[in-house]
Amino acid sequence: MFGYVRPPLQELPQEERDRFRRVYCGLCHTLSRRCGFAARFILNYDFTFLAILLSDGEESPCACGTCIASPFQKRPYCTGSSALNLAADESVILAWWQIQDHIVDSGVFRSLKYRVASLFLARSYRRAAEARPEFDRATRSQLEKLAALESEDCVSIDLPADTFAELLAAAADAMEEERRRRILRQMLYHLGRWIYLVDAADDLKKDTVSSNYNPLIPRFGLKSDALDSDSREVFAQTLDHSIRLMATAYELGEFGCWSPILEHTIYTSLFQVGKAVLDGTFHATVPKNKKDKIVEEST
Amino acid sequence: MNDPYKILGVSESATNAEVKKAYLDLARKYHPDNYHDNPLADLAQEKMKEINAAYEEINKMRGSGRGSGSTAGRSGSSYGYGGGTARETWSGQSDSSVLQQVRIAINTGNLTRAEGLLAGYADHNAEWNFLKGAICYRRGWLDEALRYYQNACQMDPGNPEYRQALDFMQNAGASAYSPTGAFGTEVCGGDNLCQKLCCAWLLCNGCGFLGFRC
Repeated sequence: MFGYVRPPLQELPQEERDRFRRVYCGLCHTLSRRCGFAARFILNYDFTFLAILLSDGEESPCACGTCIASPFQKRPYCTGSSALNLAADESVILAWWQIQDHIVDSGVFRSLKYRVASLFLARSYRRAAEARPEFDRATRSQLEKLAALESEDCVSIDLPADTFAELLAAAADAMEEERRRRILRQMLYHLGRWIYLVDAADDLKKDTVSSNYNPLIPRFGLKSDALDSDSREVFAQTLDHSIRLMATAYELGEFGCWSPILEHTIYTSLFQVGKAVLDGTFHATVPKNKKDKIVEEST
Repeated sequence: MNDPYKILGVSESATNAEVKKAYLDLARKYHPDNYHDNPLADLAQEKMKEINAAYEEINKMRGSGRGSGSTAGRSGSSYGYGGGTARETWSGQSDSSVLQQVRIAINTGNLTRAEGLLAGYADHNAEWNFLKGAICYRRGWLDEALRYYQNACQMDPGNPEYRQALDFMQNAGASAYSPTGAFGTEVCGGDNLCQKLCCAWLLCNGCGFLGFRC
């Protein structure tokens, strides 16, 4: 995933920030325990958000410990729960396939860093894929569909977005209860659609220069590297619609102690991120390499 | 049945007015209009029934048990947000029996069949475009849905059914409920101070949960 999902920690009360921190650290410990040390390095807010969505309404029991990010001071973290285990495995699978995608997409020289990352993560991926073969298969097949659409210069923004949305929705397939599974699938589908489209808007300048496929170019018949005001309005509407469909699904679910974090993310943060991307200020506000440090600063 | 107070999220000591307000807030949240053509509409409908039943139960208990007076007791016997869907897309009549079958297939959630029938229908008229849009919407293909609805409206500008669908898309599915007021990518959520103040104002006034009619 791409770092577009950001719970607005500064706007949340301390209690909620601490709770987010415990699940963030909990996911990190779970990644390391289940998939090996290398898996820790894929940790980000998007995967933490996924872990929260998959969680029951209550926090799993807490433990306290040190880690590489905090070698001296012990920090509380959520210990493993089935939701954290599931989120950890699925995160590794998603990160792995994202790296493979980058290797295919970038040239020989630029793909070097992804090849190194791929080697680094290979063992973790094997363990995760063994634990969740269906999700691994679903991810691979959706990405193959996406690659086919990209190579034929698909003029629809929905068809390529659908592949990524379905891929993310499959993360809920392991849920046993049907009602919960349907709600989560709908939320994750539209989260995936939104992420794909926001990422496309974010990459628009870069893709115009490199002549890479970008769904917005054929859809809006773009001649320059930016959306004109009419296209921007239509595009913002479609982003909003997905967020609202996520919200209507969210309101039907029971998310217990996670409700404040989820609610703030869905009802405010996603709109803010979308706007920042469209305004071209997204990377200026939080440089990519620093994003994970927010959790340190705000807790 | 579960505890009706718990369903409405109020304590047993809440006043009648508080109970009514909690009921109305929930009813606004799960109103069928917010779940129009939504794949989870049936779940919202269940929720609506549960809320209506809880509210009626409380009114009955208070009406007979505590004798809290006829005004309070009667004022609330449910709000008229019945369990049914308020806006029925599929009330329209088709000229062709094939398109009528497409409507039935969409209604029963069989999108593959609906799509197959449309693919075999040569006349891509206004209704064909409308139904194609409806299938896309159910699949979550919102931009495609918008474009088919636009085609339908262009071909048959006077049709209220197509117009309503297009209006809904152009409002980006804005519903009556939002805990933070009328937000959107272009509406609010920017980084400048003015927008932050606007957000803060809406949040304070909305008390987090009041909801605004957009």
